Parts: sequence; structure tokens; C-alpha cells
Amino acid sequence: MADPLPCVVVVEDDRQIRRFVRSTLEAEGCKVFEAETGQQGLVEAGTRKPDLVVLDLGLPDIDGIDFIRDLRSWSEAPIIVLSARSTEADKVTALDTGADDYLAKPFGVAELVARVRALLRRHSRGSEGSAHVSFGDVTVDLSRRSVLREGQPVHLTAVEYRLLAQLLGNVGKVLTHRHLLREVWGPSFVESNHYVRIYVARLRRKLEADPAQPRYILTETGVGYRFQL
Amino acid sequence: MCIGTAALTSPLQDYLDLANTVMLFLLAVLLVALRAGRGPAIFAAIASVLLFDFLFVPPRFSLAVGDVQYGITLGVMLAVALVTAQLATGMGRQAEVAARRERETRSFYELARDLAGAVSTEQVAAIAEQFMHAAGGHATLLLPDTSDVLSVTGDGAGEVAHFEQRLALVAYRKGEIVAVNALDDAGHSVSYVPLKAPMRTRGVLVVTAERRSRSSHEPMDAMLSTVASLVAIAVERLHYVDVANNAQMEMASERLRTSILSALSHDLRTPLTAIVGLADSLTVQKPPLPEAAHETAAAIRDQAARLSSMVTNLLDMARLAAGNVKPRKEWQVLEEVAGAAVQLLGRSLAGHRVAIELPLAIPLIEFDAILIERVLCNLIENAAKYSAPGSAITIGARLEGGFAHVSVTDEGPGFPEGRQEEVFEMFVRGEPESSAPGAGLGLAISRSIVEAHGGTIHARNQAPRGAQVTFTLPLGTPPEIAEEPETDSWEAQRG
Repeated sequence: MADPLPCVVVVEDDRQIRRFVRSTLEAEGCKVFEAETGQQGLVEAGTRKPDLVVLDLGLPDIDGIDFIRDLRSWSEAPIIVLSARSTEADKVTALDTGADDYLAKPFGVAELVARVRALLRRHSRGSEGSAHVSFGDVTVDLSRRSVLREGQPVHLTAVEYRLLAQLLGNVGKVLTHRHLLREVWGPSFVESNHYVRIYVARLRRKLEADPAQPRYILTETGVGYRFQL
Repeated sequence: MCIGTAALTSPLQDYLDLANTVMLFLLAVLLVALRAGRGPAIFAAIASVLLFDFLFVPPRFSLAVGDVQYGITLGVMLAVALVTAQLATGMGRQAEVAARRERETRSFYELARDLAGAVSTEQVAAIAEQFMHAAGGHATLLLPDTSDVLSVTGDGAGEVAHFEQRLALVAYRKGEIVAVNALDDAGHSVSYVPLKAPMRTRGVLVVTAERRSRSSHEPMDAMLSTVASLVAIAVERLHYVDVANNAQMEMASERLRTSILSALSHDLRTPLTAIVGLADSLTVQKPPLPEAAHETAAAIRDQAARLSSMVTNLLDMARLAAGNVKPRKEWQVLEEVAGAAVQLLGRSLAGHRVAIELPLAIPLIEFDAILIERVLCNLIENAAKYSAPGSAITIGARLEGGFAHVSVTDEGPGFPEGRQEEVFEMFVRGEPESSAPGAGLGLAISRSIVEAHGGTIHARNQAPRGAQVTFTLPLGTPPEIAEEPETDSWEAQRG
């Protein structure tokens, strides 16, 4: 790793939550910079060039969605959104605008750490990614487009494969229904969320040990899916 | 008149033709007809013929007719005179009818104008009464309340001391005029006229009239119908004004409620998030805390998390109880939502074996995934709370009668006998003093959600033990899925 200490900017107006997020991230070996307002957060993100941004959606000064849009116009740093339950719809908007993941308040240390690790890992690995992905008893070779389960080839349709490739290419990131429809089916399918659900169910049948209680292709209800290694 | 004509014309007979004399007599008949009406006109016609014969037709001063030619003249003259009399009086009557119509139309117009300006049903009642008063009667407006009982609107209560609710209801329900010609001393006739508006019957107008007007019963009825329809339109218009106002008010209070709830939610959750997070970070601190302190920190974290879920429940219940949660329905895979619910509960299910046993044939079902996930979470959580660790919790489903019946079954002691329905009430718990945590909102929330989807929810006990809660969701017609053409599919493995 070029930089041994990943840099994280935490934008949250509540001091105690900020304190807890800071101590958790520092225990993970991150350098943490705090911002109390959206404006301050944008300035911090501009000067620190962070590897990750933790953003509270309910900021006092600017709308969280505007913050994401602004940041995304010049930064690729992954964003974790902290949201209260009353902002279900905002969550989807935040993800569609460019956030990578979300945590519903209240959340514990373990959840925060898991999300942060996943995103930092993906970010540090950059976009090249690995051609080989293994999970459970499944091995996928993206360069050769082969999917093996317990060493046996698995038959996937073209759409199923494209869907799997999307999930594998965004490990740890929440992919909204809209995003998946656009990337896998094309722009004309954007209002057909049930397509995603049916194909995800098919993928799970082919790849998960217990399709009803998946371990890797996880459901984020009302939002989308997340592939978790 | 005829004699006058005769007197006028006789000196002129030397200068006038007999034919022109006839004309003068006819003119006289026409004038009489226009002025005096039918009877005098006929009399004038006959008198003119007789006078003409007597005075002018040779031999003069006798009714005898010298020439057959004059017989024809007299005959034609009589016929023309009679027809003239007839036509002229008819015209006069028509003019009279037209004038009366015009008066009526004018008064209806004024009524309509007054009603158009009315801003309350009381005003409508007053205007109707005023109108009927001018026509020699009284009007009382009866409007139905929410349970369809008709009652007097406005201060006209004194005018019609008693009306028969029964008769009014007949008129209201059947939409027909009910007329009662009472034989009481006052000799009033009472009509119950339904107020038929374009959308529905809006009420009843009770009209009391003196009985003398009974002779002209037919036009009276027609007049009443017209008045009634005008009043009905006014009442309906006011009704929709009310509806629009209420909708606007509801929207305003709805917005207020939503913003209060989300502000409350944010304000309560922020400190809870801090408590959960800070306590949790104590438990993972390095070096670790002494065991007692560690336990305390974990307890603080768990209690705060529970408090948070109770806050969520209360706020959700507030939203649901207000009846304004509209499910955002999409076509869902039930298995996925069941799996997500189990995944969401995660840690709190530790120690229970959760099995999702859904038949493969379950079609897509249209529901709000977040809300139904909530229901499943509540049911699974309950099952876990009230059954021994290590026991199984099963999520099942079957299709029957156009509904999907989704059930959560545990191996616990079951619901207290006879209280299976009560547990769905707010703040009611199976065992009131139970040590298991909760406020008794979970099942009430679940029921509200299921009912908002057009389903039902029931609890029952399994033999030999175990509780089962089943809820139903209506099956619709799932959208078509365009399958991939087979030529597009390919073996994922190449070599």
C-alpha cells in the first residue's frame, strides 16, 4: 500500500456520533478528519483528498444529496451515508446520486467497520479488480467468463451473467434496482424492478447454498442488492 | 259594440258597399274577442250577423233574406266571425300563459341566482323558504347526516313544527315526490320533494302549501321539481366545496404531522445513535475493559438499541394509525423479502433455527417490500422472543382462494387460549407481565400494514404446541417477463 494510513472525512453534525465514528475508524487505523457542516465537509474533502467519506444525510446547512452531487463532480472517493429510518426514499436517491453504501441509525461498531473495510479495500484495489472471484463453493473467472460451482460449470444466461458481473464488480457496494436495470438490461427497463428481483432469485438458486437465506447476494429491501464477500 | 258598429255604419250605408259593412262588423267581433274573451266574442259574432241581416240586408228591418246571395254572405260572415272569435281569444290566453311563464321563469331565475350566491346550507334553506313564501307556502330543507337521518337545516324549524321522518325518508330513498293532503284543520298539503342532484339525492325539501292551490296540482308539482332541482344543485355544490376544503385542510395537517414525525424521529434517534455507538465502542476497546464494565457497556448498547426499535415502532404506529400510510407496491419475490427479514434480525435470532420453506410455485406478489419485511420481522422476532432458544421458527406459505397465506410458526407455548385476536390490539401483550421485552405494538403494526394491503392476519395455536401467525396478501396478475431468447444463452464455461 502506498499510503499506510487511509484518510477518512466524517461529515456529521452531532458531536457524540462523530466522536464514536472517529474512535472506531481510528481503531481501524484510519486518519480521521471531522466536519460539522456540509460546507466544511466539502472543504475538508477538497483539501484532504480522502479515501472515504462518511456522510450524515440530515445536515443542518446543505442537503445531503446536494453534497454527494457536488463531491461526485470532482472526487471518486467512496461515500457511506448515515441515514435515519424516516429517510428511506432519500437513501435510494443518495445511492443513485453516487453514494456507495448506507448505514441506518442506530448502528454498531461491527457494522460500521465492516462497511468501511469493504469500501476501503475496493477503493485501494482501484478499478482493475481481480479476474478471479471465489465465494462459497463458487469460482468465477471474469476474464474467461467461466462460473464453476464445486468444480462443475454452471449454466448462466447472458442476462444472469451480466448481473453477476455487475455484483462482482461492486463488491460491498449497494447497487440500486435502477442502477442494475440500467447496467444489465439497458435504459428502457428502468421502471421494471421485478426483472431484477426475478433474475437475482435465479442467480441465488444457481449459486447460493440456501437461496432463501443468501450469504453473498444480499437484499437491501426497498433499495437494491449488495454482493458481500 | 255591435250595436255601436251598426249605429256607426247605418248612416254610411249609401256610401259603403255591403261587403265593406261586413268587414266592419268582423273587426268589431275581433276587438270584442281580444278584449272580452271567448263567450262575449261568440255572442258578438252571432249578434253581428243578426244585426247585419236586420239592418242592411234587403229587405231591411227584417230577418228575412231576399236574395239567396245574401244567405251565403250571412253564412260566411257567421263562420268567419266565429273563427275570428275563437282564434283571437286563444291568442289572448296564450299571451296570458306566456306572461305567467315569464313571471315564473323570472322567479326561478332569481331563485337560481340567490342559490348560486349561497355559501352555506343554512342560506340555501332560507332562500328556499323565502321563495316558497312568495308562492304562498313554506319550505323546509332536510339534509341527511352521516347515518342518513334527515334533520332540519337552518332556522326554519319553527315553520314546519313536525314533519314525518318516515315520509321524508321514503322520498329521500326512492327519489320520488311524496304528497300528503292532510285533513287537518289548517287544510295544508305537505309535499316531500327529493333533492335530486347530478351525483345523488342530497336531501328532501318539505313544502307546505295552502290547500286552495290543490286545483292547480299539476303545475304545482312541476314547480316543486324545478325548485327542488335548483336547491339540490346548490346543496351539491356546497357539498363539494366542503369536500375540497376538507381535502385541503387534511393535506395541510398531513404535511404538519409528517414533518413533526420525522423531526421527532430524527431528534430521538440522534442521541440513541450516539449511545448505541459509544457503548458499543467501549465493548471493543483495546485493551478490553474489565469484565463487569464490558458487560455494562454491552447492556447499555442493547437497551439503547431496544429503545430505538420501540421509538421506531411508536412512530410507525403513529403514522399507520393516522391511516395515511400508502403502501408503495411493487411486484416482489416473497422468498427474497422473507430472507431479508431474517438477515435484518441477524443477531437477535441467534440460537433459533429459522427455516424458510416456501413452495417454488409462488408467483410475484404486489406489496410494499419494506412494510411486509416489517411484518415478517415483527412476527419472527415475536416467535423468537416467546419460544425456547434452539427451537425452530418456520416461515411458510401456501396459495388459496386468490390469496397468498404467509405464516410464521414457532415451537413456543402459543398464545393464551381465547386471546388470539386481542393480541393484535395496540399495547396488548399475550402475557401482560411477561419478562419478555416489548410494548405490544408489533402485532398491531403488522395488522395495520397487512390491512393496508387488503389482507388479513390471524393467530392460532398449533397442536401439540407452538404459535402460528398467518397473514394473507391478495394475488394479482403479475406482469409478463420477457424471457431471453434461447439463442442468447450460452454455456458459461468455454473449454
